[in-house]
Amino acid sequence: MAQAGKGRLNYRCPSCFMRDLDIDMFYDADKGEYYCIRCQYTGREEDVLKKNDLARFRYRCLTRRFAMDEFEQF
Amino acid sequence: MEEKFILNIIHRPEMVPEYAEKVTGHGKGEDLGRKALLTESLDIFKLQQEAAHRNGLKTTIQMTYASLFNDEAVELAKEHHAVYGDEIALTLLGLPCKQFREKYKTKDFCIWMFDMETKRSIVDDVFGKFYERFGFYPESTGSYYMDAELTNYIKSKYPMVKCAVATCWEEGPKAYHTCNNSWYTFMDGGPWAPWIPSKVNTHAPAANEAEDSGIVAIPHLSRDLIACYDGNGSNFGTHPQNVLRGMLYTPGQFGPDGTYSGQTYPYLYNLIDQFRYQAKFNNGYAYNMMFVGPGWMNKMGRWEAPYELLKASYDDGCAYYGQLKKEGRLTDMTMSEFADFYRARKHYTEPECALWRDLIYGSDKQLFWYCDPYMRACVNMDQGGAIVDLRPYAAKLEWPVGIGTPHVQECGYPFLIQEKYRAGYFTHYAGEGTVRSAKLCCDGEEVDLCLCRTKAHFSEEDGVRTLTLDPVDIVFAAATVKLQTVLRFEEGSGAIRIERHILSVSDPEAKITLNEYMVACYGTTEYPEDMTPVRLNVKRGGEEHPLQYAYRCREAELDGADEVSAVIPPIKTRVWMEAEGRGKRGYYREGYAFSPMFTLGYTGEVKEKEVFTTWLRLARED
Repeated sequence: MAQAGKGRLNYRCPSCFMRDLDIDMFYDADKGEYYCIRCQYTGREEDVLKKNDLARFRYRCLTRRFAMDEFEQF
Repeated sequence: MEEKFILNIIHRPEMVPEYAEKVTGHGKGEDLGRKALLTESLDIFKLQQEAAHRNGLKTTIQMTYASLFNDEAVELAKEHHAVYGDEIALTLLGLPCKQFREKYKTKDFCIWMFDMETKRSIVDDVFGKFYERFGFYPESTGSYYMDAELTNYIKSKYPMVKCAVATCWEEGPKAYHTCNNSWYTFMDGGPWAPWIPSKVNTHAPAANEAEDSGIVAIPHLSRDLIACYDGNGSNFGTHPQNVLRGMLYTPGQFGPDGTYSGQTYPYLYNLIDQFRYQAKFNNGYAYNMMFVGPGWMNKMGRWEAPYELLKASYDDGCAYYGQLKKEGRLTDMTMSEFADFYRARKHYTEPECALWRDLIYGSDKQLFWYCDPYMRACVNMDQGGAIVDLRPYAAKLEWPVGIGTPHVQECGYPFLIQEKYRAGYFTHYAGEGTVRSAKLCCDGEEVDLCLCRTKAHFSEEDGVRTLTLDPVDIVFAAATVKLQTVLRFEEGSGAIRIERHILSVSDPEAKITLNEYMVACYGTTEYPEDMTPVRLNVKRGGEEHPLQYAYRCREAELDGADEVSAVIPPIKTRVWMEAEGRGKRGYYREGYAFSPMFTLGYTGEVKEKEVFTTWLRLARED
């Protein structure tokens, strides 16, 4: 088994991201998956992207553009 | 007064970007002189300059030590100064390069972490090299943090320096944790907007000319005053790639021709606009700075963002600032221009205020931040106007940093109250957390105002900034009390006056008592400090009840007390409370090992239409 490397993009662990940790993942070409060296997360690229979207759950105003006068209203 | 929203855009030709060598060089041995790295770094700088100029914005070019050895970088700076009016300045970031490593024989790169002798040597080296290349000394400089001794030295040798990037707001333990405890920038507790640092402590603004360090300091980035306070600071600032780091965007996609489009990041624009909005609380003045290091725009992409998205986000950020400028809503300045503007516009004791709204989580939460030469305070409207962060700048604490001092890395200004590091209202099963709040009691029931969510309204008159909170209802079995909190910050006083107005009580006969309290300790991180130097006292006239802290859970109280106080020698701070109201009774409580805090407070009785007033005051111990 060859050593792991970086993938096409430098994905972070989505599980760690959700606890405010930026941990680069490494890519295991034999298994075709990314894995976290800090926690137990492993996943293929599709799963990483899906979980990254999930991590955005807390950003309820992610797509909202406020007008200046709206700052007075909340 | 005319409203002014000022923008500083700063670019640095960092020949070996902090991140690029480690992140994009994965799988290669370290080589700071690697040609591909140097070429790419300069290309990114050119790209950033082009994005600003294309949008009609001038920049401050902060030359790095490494770039001073690069003829192309030097010529570019000269050309852009001549053509676009960019300022040629000098940063103390970007030290690493072959020449630096060979001369100083160290991999350290943060100027504040060196011993003082090395700091002086590096400053002379870098300023000297700058002079050699440009024939003049820079008026602006900076780093992530500039300790007071460093600034004082620079001012003594290079008095023309008038502006510096001097801290990064709330970049401390949270940033350290986010980097899996590997990023040693501990600089919590400073101002979030430009200020004049004191000669003694960079984070504490100068109160007068005698304390003036001689520079105007600007923060590294303009950061979200709710999101950065709570979470990873590097996700929520006026740094387009930080917004990507926080996943605060919806991705675009590559078209058949390889172009990237469709990305959106309204949060970035909302953040810029909320800073513009702060002009309402600062005599018509608001400020933004954008300072993106080249490593954030490298060709390999940055985390899950491809290069095309990194570039697009920077272009879009500049385009928005450019649009505001075209609409007459923004003034771009260089750093030295800004320093002149700031000194002409602000006076020493004038506070910086921010009434900040949650922009991203949808919580409707509001925080009010206040900063002057005597304190930095945060009032949380989601907790009934409780003070949840308090830094006693009045002490002007001497805090040398760097190798050879007691604080090799820690630059943060110590807190008395910090709800994230030492709990706040809520603790787990035992003990108390740091907060300044009040409790209402009736017939054995007790309600803390921290549980009364409300909103604030700002006003200013005769040097007093007032925060008037919407009234809240406190419902007891026997009566309902409608209470309104008003906080007043009198300029130059070092005090916060808190009034509790009892607007109505459903049963006028109900016996309502008020307990105004402050739970505090001291520190810069989450971990407890030795509390035994702390001295508590309550006094009335000549009667005093002093206590040396020993974790023994002792307490004292006194009818009609003039003041209750704590002296905290490790941070040279004296904090005390005074009160005015019916039946006032001052008290203190010592903590214990599982709750290493102290409590100062006053109890009193209140009825409908009455007001109970307290003052929280801060001073240097000696």
